Amino acid sequence: MGKQITEMLKGTLEGLVLAILALRPAYGYEITARLREQGFSDIAEGTVYALLVRVEQRGLVDVEKVPSEKGPPRRVYSLNPSGQEYLDEFWRTWTFLAERLEQLHTEPAEGES
Amino acid sequence: MAARWIETLTGSLEQKKQYKQDKARIDALPEPYGAAAKAVHRYLMYCGGMTDGDTLVTMFGDLADLWERAAIDGTPVREIVGDDPVEFAEAFARAYAGKQWIDKERARLTKAIEDAERKEEE
Repeated sequence: MGKQITEMLKGTLEGLVLAILALRPAYGYEITARLREQGFSDIAEGTVYALLVRVEQRGLVDVEKVPSEKGPPRRVYSLNPSGQEYLDEFWRTWTFLAERLEQLHTEPAEGES
Repeated sequence: MAARWIETLTGSLEQKKQYKQDKARIDALPEPYGAAAKAVHRYLMYCGGMTDGDTLVTMFGDLADLWERAAIDGTPVREIVGDDPVEFAEAFARAYAGKQWIDKERARLTKAIEDAERKEEE
């Protein structure tokens, strides 16, 4: 992925991750794996981890520590009502932005019509 | 009693204990995870800009969790930090924002502009 997608993702990754959590609770690695499956191959696990910490600090997700066979317990994140509200707002914003961009993209250039 | 008196001078002893435990977890990581985690830890000490001990302790605890998990799962270091380790470390530190020294300055700037705006209205 190029530089542009990296920049654009910065503003949308949070919504993307919350949307994944809206389907079902998951731990960090699962989320990264799902993003990679969907073609975001360059996403670093640490970036997702930092993002999860951030949404946790802001109270958008609930965290449950699930014991794992080895090592520290895995943190399983789930979307809570505040997170759902935030996600709804994210989709409204996204739809607005996508529509405007699409309009600009398909509008005939001046002089062509 | 004595402990509490000392803590007002030195910060919480509980915090120090927790910090030392998390640092020990980082020091005990197998290579190359130990080297990577220590480098990130060092950078966070410089750029984190935290004044609040609780936040700092939470951050380093989370950092130890992240690298222990990576070491156990055998996740390549690069997959953790991505192409730009600085970007990673700064995003990581930002996740704990809200209690950073810069917040005081942010509040100050915001207030100064509000005051200036009020003068405009007078």
